Formats: sequence, C-alpha cells, structure tokens
Amino acid sequence: MVEIGHFALVLALALSLVQSVVPLAGARGGNGRLMAVGGPVAVTAFAMVAVSFAALTISYGRSDFSVENVWENSHSLKPMLFKLTGTWGNHEGSMLLWVLILTLFGALVAAFGRNLPASLKATVLAVQGFIGAVFLLFILTTSNPFVRLVNPPMEGRDLNPVLQDIGLAIHPPLLYLGYVGFSVSFAFAVAALIEGRLDAAWARWVRPWTLAAWVFLTGGIAMGSYWAYYELGWGGFWFWDPVENASFMPWLAGTALLHSAIVMEKRGALKIWTVLLAILTFSLSLLGTFLVRSGVLTSVHAFATDPTRGVFILCILVLFVGGSLALFAWRAPGLTAGGLFQPISREGALVLNNLFLTTAAATVLVGTLYPLVVEAVSGEKISVGAPFFNLTFGLLMLPLLALVPFGPLLAWKRGDLAAVSQRLMAAFGLALLAALVSLIFVDGVSAFAAAGVGLSAWLILGALTDLAFKSGLGAVTAPVALRRFVGLPRSVFGTALAHLGLGLTTLGIVCVVSMQGERILVMKPGDTAEIAGYAIRFEGLEPMKGPNFTEERATFVLSRDGSPLGSMHASKRFYPARGMPTTEAGIRTLGFSQLYVSPGDIQDGGGLVVRIWWKPMVTLIWLGALVMMAGGTMSLLDRRLRVGAPSRARKAVGRPEVAAS
Amino acid sequence: MLFWLAAAALTLVASLAVLLPLSRQPRADADRQDVAVYRDQLAELDREAARGLIGPTEVEEARAEIGRRMIRADAATSRAAAPPRNWARVLATAAVLAVPLVGWGVYAVLGSPDLPSQPLSARLAKCQAGATVEELVGCAEAHLAANPEDGKGWDVLAPIYMRMGRSAEAAQAFANAIRLEGSTALRESGLGEALADAADGSVTPQAQDAFARALAIEPGFPKAVYYLAIASFQQGRADEAMAAWRKLAADAAPDSPWRTAANEAIAEAERRTAAAADQPGPTTQDVEAAKQMAPADQQAMIETMVASLDEKLRQNPNDPEGWLRLVRSYVVLERKDAAREAVVRAVAALGKDSDAARQVNELAASLGVTTTE
Amino acid sequence: MTRKQKRLSVIGAGLAFIALAAALVFYALGQQASYFYMPGDLQTATLEPGQRIRLGGLVEKGTIVRGQGTEVSFAVTDTQESVKVRYAGILPDLFREEQGVITEGSFGSDGVFVADSVLAKHDEKYMPKEVAESLKEKGVWQPN
Repeated sequence: MVEIGHFALVLALALSLVQSVVPLAGARGGNGRLMAVGGPVAVTAFAMVAVSFAALTISYGRSDFSVENVWENSHSLKPMLFKLTGTWGNHEGSMLLWVLILTLFGALVAAFGRNLPASLKATVLAVQGFIGAVFLLFILTTSNPFVRLVNPPMEGRDLNPVLQDIGLAIHPPLLYLGYVGFSVSFAFAVAALIEGRLDAAWARWVRPWTLAAWVFLTGGIAMGSYWAYYELGWGGFWFWDPVENASFMPWLAGTALLHSAIVMEKRGALKIWTVLLAILTFSLSLLGTFLVRSGVLTSVHAFATDPTRGVFILCILVLFVGGSLALFAWRAPGLTAGGLFQPISREGALVLNNLFLTTAAATVLVGTLYPLVVEAVSGEKISVGAPFFNLTFGLLMLPLLALVPFGPLLAWKRGDLAAVSQRLMAAFGLALLAALVSLIFVDGVSAFAAAGVGLSAWLILGALTDLAFKSGLGAVTAPVALRRFVGLPRSVFGTALAHLGLGLTTLGIVCVVSMQGERILVMKPGDTAEIAGYAIRFEGLEPMKGPNFTEERATFVLSRDGSPLGSMHASKRFYPARGMPTTEAGIRTLGFSQLYVSPGDIQDGGGLVVRIWWKPMVTLIWLGALVMMAGGTMSLLDRRLRVGAPSRARKAVGRPEVAAS
Repeated sequence: MLFWLAAAALTLVASLAVLLPLSRQPRADADRQDVAVYRDQLAELDREAARGLIGPTEVEEARAEIGRRMIRADAATSRAAAPPRNWARVLATAAVLAVPLVGWGVYAVLGSPDLPSQPLSARLAKCQAGATVEELVGCAEAHLAANPEDGKGWDVLAPIYMRMGRSAEAAQAFANAIRLEGSTALRESGLGEALADAADGSVTPQAQDAFARALAIEPGFPKAVYYLAIASFQQGRADEAMAAWRKLAADAAPDSPWRTAANEAIAEAERRTAAAADQPGPTTQDVEAAKQMAPADQQAMIETMVASLDEKLRQNPNDPEGWLRLVRSYVVLERKDAAREAVVRAVAALGKDSDAARQVNELAASLGVTTTE
Repeated sequence: MTRKQKRLSVIGAGLAFIALAAALVFYALGQQASYFYMPGDLQTATLEPGQRIRLGGLVEKGTIVRGQGTEVSFAVTDTQESVKVRYAGILPDLFREEQGVITEGSFGSDGVFVADSVLAKHDEKYMPKEVAESLKEKGVWQPN
C-alpha cells in the first residue's frame, strides 16, 4: 500500500512533465489533439497524487513505522484524529499536501474550463503542470515522504502536545488552498503572456479563481491567528512573526488582484497591471513557502550549511518569479491597453486601492526580509517587530480604510465625488456619533480609540449605505426597494459583506488594542480579582489526569455585580511522554468580548500567579474574517461570475442574465 | 504481487490519460467566449444605467468601447487550425512513452517495492507466535507504553534489554520496576549492573549506590559483591577488591557461576597488577591497543592501569612524567573531573611555580581541561 | 489639461506616494528595528538610556527568583558574562535554568534589564536561533 503511494507519486511526476510540454506545444502549433491532452492528464495527475496522499495518510493512521516519515513524526499513542492530521504536520507531508492542492486546482481548471478557448486552456494547464512537475521533483529528490526503514522500530518519535490541536490541524490545508489557489491566476497570467493576448474571457476566469483562493487564505490566516491567541497563552492575536507575514503578503496582493480583476472584467481596463499583480501574488505565495520551508527563518547559517532543500526552493523561487517577470517584461508591451477612465471613478478608486495594498504588501515584505538581509550581509542580528509594522503598515491602512466606503458608490468611468459624499453623509454622521459616544460614555477611552471606533463604524455603515443606495432606498417606495434589494446581484452583496467584515475586524482590533484591560497578580484560593466590572474568584488548584497528561487545574468563579456567571478553568499541563509542560488558558466569551485567564507559577505559599486580560470585542477580529469569507463566497456564487459557466443559453438568447439579477 | 498488479493498473490508467485524447478528434472549438463576455458587459451596463450608477455620456462611451472589442473578437475567432505536422506526431509518441518510462525508471531508483507495509497492529498481533526477540520486545514496549504502571512488565523486560545490550533502557526499566514493585536485591543489583554497563563498564557512584542497597536488603548478594569489588579495583583499591573476590569465591556454592567469575576476576587482576608493576602506567600505545579489545575488557583494562598509576603517584608524587601520563589518560577516558583533580594534585605536588607544574598545566589546557583556580 | 498631462500628473502622484511610503519604511527601520545582544556584547555596545534591545542567552543556573509575587528575576548569561533581568508577568512554559531565552526590553536606571517579554519557544529542543548561533560562535554550546 505504501509503495503504491510512492509509485503513484512518481507517475504523477511523469504525467506533470507531459502536462507541461504537450498541451503547450499543441497550443503554439495549433494542434487540437495535443492541446486536448492537457485536461485528462491534469485530472489523472491529481488522482495519482491523491492516491499517494491517501497511502501516506493510511500509513499514519496505522502507525506504519516502516515509513521513516511516520516514524519521525508520529506515535502510536496519539489520538487517531491527530495521527491523521499529523500527515501534513511535518515538512514532507505538508509539501505533498501542497502538491495535492496544486494538482486539485489543475484538475478543477480542466473540469470547469470546458468553455475556455482551447489554446488558453492548454497553455494554462501546461503552466500548472510545470509548477507541479517542479514541486514533485522537489519532493522526490529532497523531501520524499515515502523513504522506508528496513527494520522498523516499534514506536514513533513524536508526540508534541502543542501540535495536537484541531486548529493547527485545519490551518495548513486552508492556508495552502489559498496559497496554491493563486497558482491558477498565475498560470492564467503566464498563459496570457505566452499567448500574447488578453481577451475578456481571461478576466472572467481569473476572478473566480482568485476569489476562491482569497476566501481560503482569509480563513487560513484567521484560523492561524485564533490558534496563536488561545493556544500560546499570550493573548495576542497577531505577532508580525515572519511566518505570519509569509501568509499575509499574498493576502494583501491577492486582495489587490481581486479588485483589479473587477476592473478588468467589467471594463477591460488595467489589463497589464492585473497580469503583473497575478504574477506578484503567486510569487509572494512561493516566497512564503520558501521562508517557511527552507529553514532560512530558523537560521540563515543553518540554511547555508545544509542547503539541499533550501537551495532547491530558492531555485524554484528564482525560476518562477524571475521567469515570469522576464516573460512579462518581454511580452507585456505587446498587450493592448484597455479602456479609459477619469481619476475620480470606480476604476480610479480601485487603482487607489491597488496602490495602497501593494505598497502595504511591499512594506511587510521589507520588514520581513530586512533582518535576513542584514544578517546575511553584516552578520548583525536585528529583529523587526510590531512597532515597525504598526508604524508603516498602520499608516498606510488608515487612509485606505477611510476611502473604502467611497469605492463601491462611485460610478464607472467618471464618478461624482460630491454626489457620493452626499450619499455617505448619513453614514459619516453616524460614525462620528459612534466615535463621540464611545469617547464620552466608555471609561478610559483615548481619542485615538474613539477615532478607531468611528473609522470602523464608517466602514460598516458605508457597506450598508452601498446596499441601501443600490436597492434605491429613499428614492423609491419601500416595497420596490425591498424587491430591488432581493434582486441585487450577489456580487454586490459580496462586496458589501466583505467591506462590512473588514469594518468588524477593524473594530475588534481597535477595541482590543486600545481598551484591553490586563492584570497580573498573585491569587490565593478565595481571592477575588476585579477586571472590567467582572469579579473573578480563584477557587483553588486541583490535580487532574488526562489521557496522556497530568494537570494542575485552576478553577475560577465569575460574577458581575453579585450575579454569578458560572466558572472557568485554566491549567498547567504536563505531558510525561515528552517531559513537556504546557499552559491551557481559560477563555470565557461574554458577548463579543472575552475574559482570558492565563495561569503562571505556583507560589511558595500556595498562591498562583495569574494574568487576566479583558479583551473587549476581540471575537470580532475573527468574526469579521468570517464575514469577509462569506462575502467572497457570495460573490463567487454570482451566477454571472460562475467558473466557466457562460451558459449555452446565452448563444440562443441575447440577455438571459437579466432574469437572474 | 498485489503491488505489481496495482502498479501496472496505475501505469495503464496514466498512459491512457495521455493516449486517449491523442487518438480522438478534438471537439470543434467554441471560441465564442469573448463575444459572450462582451454581451454580458453590455447587459450589465444597461442595468447600471437603469440604476443610475453611470452617467448617460459614459454609457455611450462604454458601449462604443465594448462594441469595438466585440468586432475584434469576432474577427479573431475565425482562425483556421493548422494541419498536424511531423513534430506533433513525434511529440505525441514521446509523451505516451514518457509516462511508463519515467514512472518505472524513477521508481526503480527511489522505491522499495519488496517492502510490505507494516501497520503497528499487525506487528503487535504477531506477538503471540513465531515472533523474533526484537518483535517480542517491541510488543512489550508497546504494551508498557500504553500501561506504564505495569511493574511486572518492566521487571520482565529489564533483563531482556540487558541481554540485548540496551543497557541504558535496561537501567530505566529496572528503575521503573523498583519504583512500582518495590526494591529487591535482584532488581537493585540489576540496576547497578545496567548502569555500569551503560557507563562502559565503569561502576559509577550511582551503580555503587544501587549495589549497596542490594546488599542492605540481602547481605552477601553475589552480583552486588562482585561489582562492588570491581568498583574498588577501578578506584585503585586492588587489595580490597581481591579480598572481596576471594571471599565471594569461597562463599559461593561450588557450581555457582559467581565462583568462576570471581576466580577469573582475581586472576585477571593479578595479571594486571603484575603488568602495571612492570610499567609505570598506561602509555598512549597501551590505551590505543586497549581500544582494539572488546569494549568491556578494554575499559576495564584501561581503568585498572590508570587506577594503579594514580595510586602510585599518591605514594610517589614527585614524578612529572607520571602526572602528565595520568592527566592524558583521564582525558582519554573522558573523566574530566578526575583529570582536573589530577592537575590540581600535580601542581600541589610539583610546586606551584616549577617547570614541571607549568608543563602539566599546559598539557591540561591543550586537552581542554580547565581548573578553576 | 490635456489627456497626456492628466495621465502624467496621476502617475506623478502615484510615484510621490510610493516615494513617501519608502521614506516611511526606511525611517521606521532605523527607529524600530531592535538589535540583539548577548551579555558579553554589552560592554562594547553603546546603548541610549531606555533603548529597546533584545537580550539573549542562557538562563543562569540558580539565579531564578520566582514564587514571590508577580515579579520574577533571573540572570541571562553567555557563560562568561551575565546580566540581571527583571520581568513582571508569566514566564513561558519552557523557561528553565540553563535553557536558551530571549528577552526584550530596556535597561533601567539601576542597571537591571527590565524585560517586557520573555521568549522560550514551545519545543524542548528549541534554542532561539540568535542565542544558538552566538553561543556556537563563542564555542560554548554544541547542538547534539
């Protein structure tokens, strides 16, 4: 079974090689048969990688320690769920997952792209096949998960309790779906450059793929952030850690791509820029993979001394980024430029959005790479942390956020800023009110925090204004407006939801950053601590025994104004198998806010050091991300944008879509 | 066999994925996509104009723009497909052949087709019958990993580890058995033996403690007596060791293995003491020669020689050569503490400012032995 | 304005924006990047009072004073020099004697390093990379 997986992986490499050459040759030479090879081969390559991945997963499930990878990264005592998710909890397995998702997208393009122009489809599949072939080669030569042990030991080596977490198990697949999803946009961009033409169909196919990848990446980042928040016990939701930045940069670029693809699809403008952005987005995904997978973050020196993997990925990075940018420089001037527009217009607003987002991505890139460069050049070790990113990234985001509500309301080609401002008056007034109310009525709120609350309210209300205006609220009677509201295209809802979600996330961040309460104190059993109007009484510690750990569990009883609100637990755990202590924070959600209790040292006199945070509106950070994802999904479900679904009916009737909208 | 069938089937599927599309006439291409998209754009334009999202002049401009693109797209659609050429046929053949060739070729290099998968449950199921010692130990380990509080299990496993030469694990197993099942002379002396074995034959203080505990429970327990004698010998108290061994040989039953062992130890010790008397101490060559011997013998031999040298220097400390040799020997034995102690003693004996003392210090520094003073 | 002038002015504005962003980035890098020191490096380093740095090394044996109130103090050493560190808060799970640690903060007026964060990552094999490399350079620590 294991060896079948290994064999299937090798076959997938063979198929990817065919996929990267034959359809492209067909497309260049106008040979239909050769072009037709792309689809079935892409689907079969996916099937082969799937067989391979299944074989590895089964090996993990059955604790087959004759597979070195299983032996090194699993243990027979792990719960079954974590045995299975352990498949991608290590370098080799996660690279296999990466390729699985890549070939999945290849297969999806083949399956849904039935109506794509044949030569475009063939070229796209060839580019995808090439990426697949290179990564399969990487796996087989430097990171083969199917290396076998002739005399297998009876027990595996890894039982890291921190990694036994469901959040961490789901996080990588989501993140990879996002990362790798951008490979489709990249393949389309490269294909367009090879073909030398950018037709309108191009944007129509690029946008849904970008959207899907963006939705997954948003989910992956949000989930990673939540995992760090509740598992690491520091109560922070974002650390500007290089690994986080590695996923955040493609997200910023992908968000920009999403918006420029709208302009391109709807108006045929910004073509060349969109192509460049598609290349950059996937390049940043590859850079992220490189940063995380090459070990360069752990140590520049370790990377230099044990270079096989790192250098291979670096070569991949140089090959794809350099190659595609060179191709871009060579072919882009030949592409026809698109439609014209005034600076003040929907197009103009989207250009502004792109300018801010790509600049922001660039600042994150500089901040992430700067320490590596400095260390490689001068050997000095520096760290670029939150203060840098807050200053640069934060300053760039503020104007962007303030401008977001204007965008969807501006007309295409030539917008009327005065009219739009008028429409947004109500939203602006209410946002101002929200800022004032929070300044006056909420204790200990700084002017900065109030402004942040106002900004968030502005974003949320702006998104609602967009919906209200587009359904004609105020201009027509209420029933008509309601009917129009229901009939609005789903992409309009998508936009509004995504912007609303952005507002919610901003609100969460502003509240937590500026209004969170924190106390560190020693509590003895019976002691009560007050925070944000809540009283937390420490009941005491009791030793408990879990399936593979022992713990000292602290119980806290919560109340507000004398009315009890139940109890919460936090614990210090010890996993004897690895001799490893962990801290489990106690988290209690109250409305959108959370109380977060992290236990520390047990004192000589029987007390316990406790760190208590009051995190106002903190869940909005992730709920906002969920709303953004919902917006993206909504937009994806818009029939008019559905992947490859320009219906056959359209040929018969002129305007079949009106009914749908 | 199953593997080869499955591999053949996979190869067939993969090859067909290339072959089938090549052998079929491609569908007439529907390159009408662009026109469809432009028509959509026009429709959307109408809707937005109806909702007042775009001004009337702009609508006209946009309509003209889209119209122009539409005409261009229509023209582009009517490109004729080129007839197949020779290179295409060659490429197609190469592609069809590439799949099995690359697949089997690369797999032949990387794969291990004759290794079956070995799920843990199946391996554990073999515990009952016909398993090798390795596998039986594995079964026991798996059982103990699941039930780490099973003292009897540790008790059984510990001597087996010892016989397999896995002394560190044996020591852990003995310690677990003692913790769970209580201290007995047998377990304590087993622990001592395992510790000594893990330290390459040197009876460490920990091992001595274990043997001492064994003797406290059962005075005269032969294994403990025997090893404690070795400890004495290794520390240079050869007479004490001899006495203990002699007593052991006398007390033990005639057919007891301990009698033989003790007698052998006495003979060996006498031989070494004699050899050590000839030579002032182990030379580097001796140490190197000892390395050729079986590890336990080798260690014992070196330890004895070094111990006797150490003892001699205690009696006659004014021997610069001897000190140098002693320090070097301790470093070779990786007994840094002893080496450090020897340096201190040498400096004290030779006079703090003497050349000889400086030599000792230099040697020590070059070997990485640092004294705190 | 002609169409060309308009376009040029838009492009100019864009470039100005990017230049501004670049200036901001470099200003921030100069201000906010914090340097990493081992205790032995501090003699030669010139630190402004209150300047934020990251101090790394091993937690010196027998110096941890905990279990009395919320404040913890310990010494960070590179086996030759050591620096006293004060920290109010909860130490990471894997904070132990003779383990690698990175603290971030600044020196107080009494010469004690006041840390506001202490890192010792979640893996018993883990040695913060800066610490590991600096110790290796000094030849006092070898990874097994």
